Order: sequence, then structure tokens, then C-alpha cells
Amino acid sequence: MPGLLEGVKVIDFTQHFAGPYCTKLLATLGAEVIKIERPGVGDPIRGIPPFASERQPGESGAWFLYLNTSKKSITLDLKTEKGRELALSLVENADIVVENFSPGVMDRLGLGYDALSRINPALVMTSISNYGQTGPYRDWKADEINLYATGGLMNITGEPEEPPLKEGAPLSQLGAGQNAFVATMTALFYAEDTGGGQHIDLAIAEYATNVLENALMQYSYSGVEFTRVGNRGYGRAAWGIYPCQDGFVGIIAGPDQNWPEVARIMESEELADPRFASRQGRLLNADEVDALMLPWLLEHDKVDIFKAGQDHGLGFSFVAGMQDILEMEQLVARDYFVELDHPIAGRFRYPGPPISPHSNEIEPWVYRRAPLLAEHNLSVLGELGYDSQGVERLFAEGVI
Amino acid sequence: MSAAQPLKNFRILDLSRIWAGPYCTKLLADMGAEVIKMESMRVYDSHRGPVAPAPGIAAYPDSDPGEEAWNRNGWFNCLHMSKYGITLELTEEKGRRVFEELVSISDVVVENFRQGSLTRLGYDYETLRQIRPDLIYASMPAFGNSGPWQNYVAYGIGQEQLSGMAHMTGYVNDGPMKSGINHGDPITGSHAAGVLLAALRYRRRTGKGMFVDVSQQESAVALIGGEVVAYQISGEEPQRMGNHSPWFAPQNAYLCKGEDRWVTIGVTNDEQWRGLAEALGQPELAQDPRFVTNRDRLQHRRELDALLGAWVSEKDMWEVTSLLQSKGVPAGPVLRGPDLLENPHYTDRGTFNYVDHPRVGPKWYQGFAWRMSKTPGQVHWPSPTLGQHNRQIYRELLGIAAEEIDDLEAGGVIGTKPTGSRII
Repeated sequence: MPGLLEGVKVIDFTQHFAGPYCTKLLATLGAEVIKIERPGVGDPIRGIPPFASERQPGESGAWFLYLNTSKKSITLDLKTEKGRELALSLVENADIVVENFSPGVMDRLGLGYDALSRINPALVMTSISNYGQTGPYRDWKADEINLYATGGLMNITGEPEEPPLKEGAPLSQLGAGQNAFVATMTALFYAEDTGGGQHIDLAIAEYATNVLENALMQYSYSGVEFTRVGNRGYGRAAWGIYPCQDGFVGIIAGPDQNWPEVARIMESEELADPRFASRQGRLLNADEVDALMLPWLLEHDKVDIFKAGQDHGLGFSFVAGMQDILEMEQLVARDYFVELDHPIAGRFRYPGPPISPHSNEIEPWVYRRAPLLAEHNLSVLGELGYDSQGVERLFAEGVI
Repeated sequence: MSAAQPLKNFRILDLSRIWAGPYCTKLLADMGAEVIKMESMRVYDSHRGPVAPAPGIAAYPDSDPGEEAWNRNGWFNCLHMSKYGITLELTEEKGRRVFEELVSISDVVVENFRQGSLTRLGYDYETLRQIRPDLIYASMPAFGNSGPWQNYVAYGIGQEQLSGMAHMTGYVNDGPMKSGINHGDPITGSHAAGVLLAALRYRRRTGKGMFVDVSQQESAVALIGGEVVAYQISGEEPQRMGNHSPWFAPQNAYLCKGEDRWVTIGVTNDEQWRGLAEALGQPELAQDPRFVTNRDRLQHRRELDALLGAWVSEKDMWEVTSLLQSKGVPAGPVLRGPDLLENPHYTDRGTFNYVDHPRVGPKWYQGFAWRMSKTPGQVHWPSPTLGQHNRQIYRELLGIAAEEIDDLEAGGVIGTKPTGSRII
């Protein structure tokens, strides 16, 4: 069955995390995504461990495998005239181009928006970069940690007396990638309505500023800086991550009417003290509240605590590791994981759709394993009119 | 309205609250979708805060809740610009009739109630589909609409934990750490916005609507899915590494001159490392056998941290950043709220929006999530006060007679004042 985006054609110049997550969403919703990689090495994320095959690490890195499902891979040396021409021919018949080179690189390759829109006026081109295509930091070099810092998220994550902290996963880049997917879809509507494509400029650092929640607003409203509060919610108590017998759990004390229930679950009459009945009261006595909760928490397992809360309507949670996630009864019951077999990496269970559209006429999540480097050279170039000898010639010339 | 708006032809009836749903519809409203945010006066969006909060909460202008505090809360006001705000009580028979009329003219309904809440009021996808056959209905409970946990609740902070994000965030040899935000929420909101657009495009081509099942947890797991695959390959759970990278070194935040002022350095390759060694005034370090390759540097990252920490300790974070950028080394300061608003780059790009709200005055807010060359985002009006657009929507859009609207108001079916004592 086709996916929702059946018939949409995407030429994908992206690499690393941000761009590939955007095109992964397009691909698994059914668009045809042709990933253009550098001959020889391909997307640099192929070099990120762990690798399922020591012998062929470039085909078997976990993040590469995950971020590039359902895409086709072709190799093109964009610095050669022939390579550029082939890229242009592909773009000519495409709806969407996504790229996340440093600003200016596509222009220097002769593949900037002006050049591409000349041959395909309805083209949507999405450019993802660290700081955007304009502005004084346009050419700044950055990795995840820097973007998390300059986007304002790092300052508010971590303990007040410890260094500011980044999250463990590359969430600025992945988050920017998912927003780029929304932006691309938006522009696709406009292009289909009007025949006019356009250029999207999405900055990863700005993704971080966009999800600052109330941190930016609060300073503007009251002049009070939002600071690091560790595992406690800002201006809250009995609200955050706590240790338990076999790991860590998330306790959410509010709303106030739920607090007696929390005290009952934790079998503590002291917690039911009227001094702790309101959010303000718990905040004033935060350390005391924590000390009263701990003994019960340390005697119980994370999943039991989670369920004890949930069964009484409380939004408790627990800190899940990867094994916990793979075994989680809810995910298993919903058939969330999809097993994909890869000729070099082997069989693994991949997280399924982030969102599940239901229809008996479409495949909600068109999931195929990630491509081998250059796996689709023949078929894609074949569509451009190259027979196998022609492809051989391009290979000999170093174009592919 | 100046430029054309790409999503102007879509009407979204938005019953969602807090952040995940509202972030989804904010992304769409910023691009011109007509978003009608519907609230109950009894249980309005809890981001509006309590009816009568204690003074001193910094999310109100000058930390003063003032009159009509529910219209002055920044948590709410930063997420609902350009959306219409209406109130309607679905527990009232008259309210239900109006709701059904609204559904009949809407392309999309979005809700993130606890699973089953709307069904208990008699509305689920199947019943709403009788009213609007090509409706796209997005239901966003914490764990989706099936499975043993479907009735469970969780907030963004919980999703960080249940998705594995919190497990891999934290200082070395210490427990898991939440992020400074409720990161699960915007992740779900963004995924949902994109899939809704894909569903709308499908409907445009086929005339068919659909039910969209959103599990906030699955959405968060999907974003970091590479770690799930990595675990199956290595058999090792991801480690909490503070600000270190599992892949590259040196990477960390280093304390600079000033109070709580930090610079981050994020070297990812040998060339950048050579640039860093040069900036340090010790180009020979690049040849030091401890640091030549990335693998060497990963092994000796504590020595590199000591070296870099000492080097920046008496320097200004901006001075370090400029010097390193001039050598092609990824670096950047840890910016705080005031820094962001004054920052020349963000100012130049118009990253933040300055919006005048009638009950708050002009304030800075998060801006548009991206730039579009032909159809830039626009703020049409500030976040609505409770029920602000009742008359406009019910009169102009639904064509309800003025006296009937008066009746609805008198009967407590619509209104502009809270009728409960919402406390969060």
C-alpha cells in the first residue's frame, strides 16, 4: 500500500542528524527520497559507532541505519561538472530538495536556490544549518553542544551549582530536523496551490530558542531570569526525578487536589501534613517533603511506582533505559517496533511511527531498511536514461 | 496581512491544552492556518494559571498576576498568537450543538485530553465523522489510543523519562537529569503538525479524512531511535556523560571569567583540533601522541578538559568564542535569557517576536521556527484572552443570531470569565 506522501519526490543532500531526520519522516510517510552521498565515504554519520559489522562499519552504524530508513542512496561527486549536471536533472523532476551543508556550499556547487528554482520554479528547497543562511553567526562552526548552549537550553538544564548541561541525545539537531519536515510540508502546499516554490531557512540554534518554553518569556515578563533547578520543576517541589529501588522515577505532586493521593500511595501520614497541602507549602518545605518520600521510593521498583501513581490518575513516570523501552508492555502491545533485516547489519527492531495515521488505504509508515552506499545508482540513473554501460562510464570517471 | 499564507485554507478546531497540542497548532497558525482554540470556562487551558494566583510568580508581568490573571500568564501567551480563542461547555446541550456545527466546518480536530475523555462526552472519531465525513482527527493522549496504558497520563517531563532521553542525560557518575523544559511536548507537537499536513494533502487528493493516533511516548522514542538500535548492536545502555560526546573530543562546557559564564567547545575532527591547539598558542599539542587522532583525544579527554579549563578560566566567553571561530573551531557561549534578547545574531535575524498584548503590554516571545522566502510567518494578533473571539466566531463564522449568542452567554455555555477555580 502507498504512504500518505506517495508520489512526492525528494532529492536529499543531507548528512549527519538534522537533515536526515527530516527526510526520514518524508520517506517513511511514502515520499520517494533519493539520498545523494559522496562517492567512497558517503554521509559522515556512517562513521558514528556502534557498528553492527566490524568489517563494514560504514554500512552498519546504528544512527545511520536508523536515520536513513526507506531512502534510496546514490553517489555523486558534486564537484565534477557531470555530477552537478546529474544532480540538476534529478532536481528538475523533484518536488523537494533538502540540504544541510554549511551556508554557501550549495551556491558554490552551482546548486543554490537560484540555480535550482530556475530549472524547477515549483521546487521547495529546505536548507537546515547551524545558525541560518543570514546573520553574523552564519559561518560559525558548531556541534550539538554549541547549539544547545547558544540556543539557551543549556543554561537552564542541570544543577544550579554544577555546570550547565546538555541533553544526552543530539536533540537540537533532531528537533530542528522534525521542524524542517513541518516547514517543508507547509511550503509544499503553497507550491501545489500556486506553482511557486520557495526557499526555507531553518537554523538549528533557533530550534532551541523556539522550544525554550517559558524561559525567554519569563525574563521578558518580569525581568526574573529562569535558572537551572536540577531535577525539580521550576517553582515546584515533589515534582521531578527521584531514586527508587531499581532505578529512578518521576513524581508529579500536582495538582493540589492530588496530593493526598500521593501521600496515601507512599503510605506516609506525615506527607499528608496540611503544611504540604499546597504547591506553595511543598515548595517552602521541599527538602522535608523529599526526605519523607525517599524511604518509600527506595523500597519500591520503578514500574510498580509508576503504576501505583497511574492507577490513581497521577502522571508518575519512570526513567527507562533502552532495554526497558524494547520490553515496555505498552509499546509491545501496540506493535510499535518494526523488525528490519539489513544484509550487512542484520536484523534489529526499529522504533516505529512517531505518529500513526489510520486508514485502510494507506501504509501509515512505509518502513524499509537503510540503503547501502550507492545501492540505487543503477536504478536512479537508469531513470535518467543511463544504461549499465553509461553507469560504468560515470563510475570510471569518478562521478559516482 | 501582507504576504500570502500557505496554510490559509485550513481550519483547525483545537481542543488541546498545555504545550504539545498548542505547539503543534502554533506551528500551523504561524503559517496561516485558521486555528480556533476552544476552551471550557470551568477547566480552561492550565497554562493560563490559577484564577487567583499568589503574587510573586515571574510568569506574570512584573510578577504581578493583577486583574484577570488568566489572561496575563506568559506560559499561555507565548503559545497562542494568531489563534482565535473561544469558550464552549460541552457538558451543556446547547454547547454540544454549537460544537457539532464547528466540527462540520473544520478540516482538522486536535485534542490532547486524557485518553477517552471526549468519548465519555459522546464524541469520538466515528461520531464526529458522521458530522464531517472527511474530518482529520488527531488524538494525542500520552500513550496513544490503544494498549494497556492507554488511560495513563504523562506530561512532557514524563516523556523525557519514558523515552530514554532522561536516562542518557546527566552528569558523569550521577543520576538522570531532566531538561530545563518539558522536551517531550514540542517533540510530539512538531511530529503531529507534520503528519497532519501530510494527511491534509492526502485528503486533498482523495477526499478522505482519517483518524491520527498520537502517542506522545512513541513520538519521543522515535526521535532518539538511533539509540534503540545502538543498544541492540552493542548491548550497552547509553551512558550519562555530562557534556562529553560519545563520539568526539574535546567537547565540554568550560567556566570563564564572570559569574556562571561558560563557553562550550565542540571539536569533531583533526582539523578543528589543530585550530584549537593553535588558538591555545601550543600548536605542538596537535602532534602530542595523546591527542593526535579523535580516538586518542577520546581516551585523554580529561587531560584536554583540564588544559582547556585552565586556558579559558580568566578569559571572557565571547573572547574565547571569537578566537576559536576565527580558527574554525566549533565554540559558543552558554547564553542566558537576557543574552538571547540582546544577541546581535538573533536580533539581525528577527528570531524573537515582540508582541503587544492588551492585558500585558509589549513583550518578547519565541518567534517563528523557520524562515520562508515567499511566505514568511506573521503574528496577526496576540494570544487571545479567554473567550475573546466568541462573538466573531459564533456570529460571523457560524451565523448564530446575536440574541442567541446572548442566550448562550446567559446560560453559561460561553463566556469570558472562568467559572471554576482551576488550580495547577
